[in-house]
Amino acid sequence: MSLLHLCFYSAFTLSGLGLAFHRTHFISALLCLESMMLSLYVALSIWPIQTQTPSFTLIPVLMLAFSACEAGTGLAMLVSSTRTHGSDHLHNLNLLQC
Amino acid sequence: MTYFIFFLGLCFILGALAVASNPSPYYGVLGLVLGSVVGCGWLLSLGVSFISLVLFLVYLGGMLVVFVYSVSLAADPFPETWGDWRVLGYGVGLVLVVFVGMVVGNFVGVGVQGVNTVDCGGAVSIRMDFSGVAMFYSLGAGMFLVAGWGLLLTLFVVLELVRGLSRGAIRAV
Repeated sequence: MSLLHLCFYSAFTLSGLGLAFHRTHFISALLCLESMMLSLYVALSIWPIQTQTPSFTLIPVLMLAFSACEAGTGLAMLVSSTRTHGSDHLHNLNLLQC
Repeated sequence: MTYFIFFLGLCFILGALAVASNPSPYYGVLGLVLGSVVGCGWLLSLGVSFISLVLFLVYLGGMLVVFVYSVSLAADPFPETWGDWRVLGYGVGLVLVVFVGMVVGNFVGVGVQGVNTVDCGGAVSIRMDFSGVAMFYSLGAGMFLVAGWGLLLTLFVVLELVRGLSRGAIRAV
């Protein structure tokens, strides 16, 4: 694996682990999700450069559009959690008792 | 120049580490801003300046600005910085995960392959990234309509999520 591939691969893995091991705030998990999207964008941009196919340079732009949708939905859930429970702490989301 | 690109890649990993070690959200956003600025610089050094500017405008200037002022909902009276032992423990553990992954995956060394140019092999009047994204409006018009429809749908999804008064998806108050 070349060094550049290691960089976005490990950034994706780190952000995924940060999403799995979140602690107190819901928005920290959303930030880890955004970091995963950023590393995916860089990975999808490097691929058409190395294969020299111009038509694939569209794919990261499209991915960014849909990741903006996902960020908006996540922030809507953050706002509704704050309006219901008063804070975005994750121990408030305790309906699933298992 | 090669080492500059390596430095940008390393700063990208550091930005992801800063977000993943879960400090208080104020510092997490800082790591994300660093990661996106360095990612833009990385794409610039590879030559695709249009893709880099799209990332800068849409991601850093659009989405991250919204995240920065949404962080104000998560106000802590005593925010945890990267000096706290909990955050530092997470950071060290995550770095260990990366190193073990490098050893297991047989990551050999710092050899870099040649960087291809974006002028389509010498035909300098054609830029690879500009012409590729411009296909969105010619051959990819169907995908354009689908993406626009999805974005419009997201507005209604957000509306239904935050609506209350016992008709909402989450707020049943």
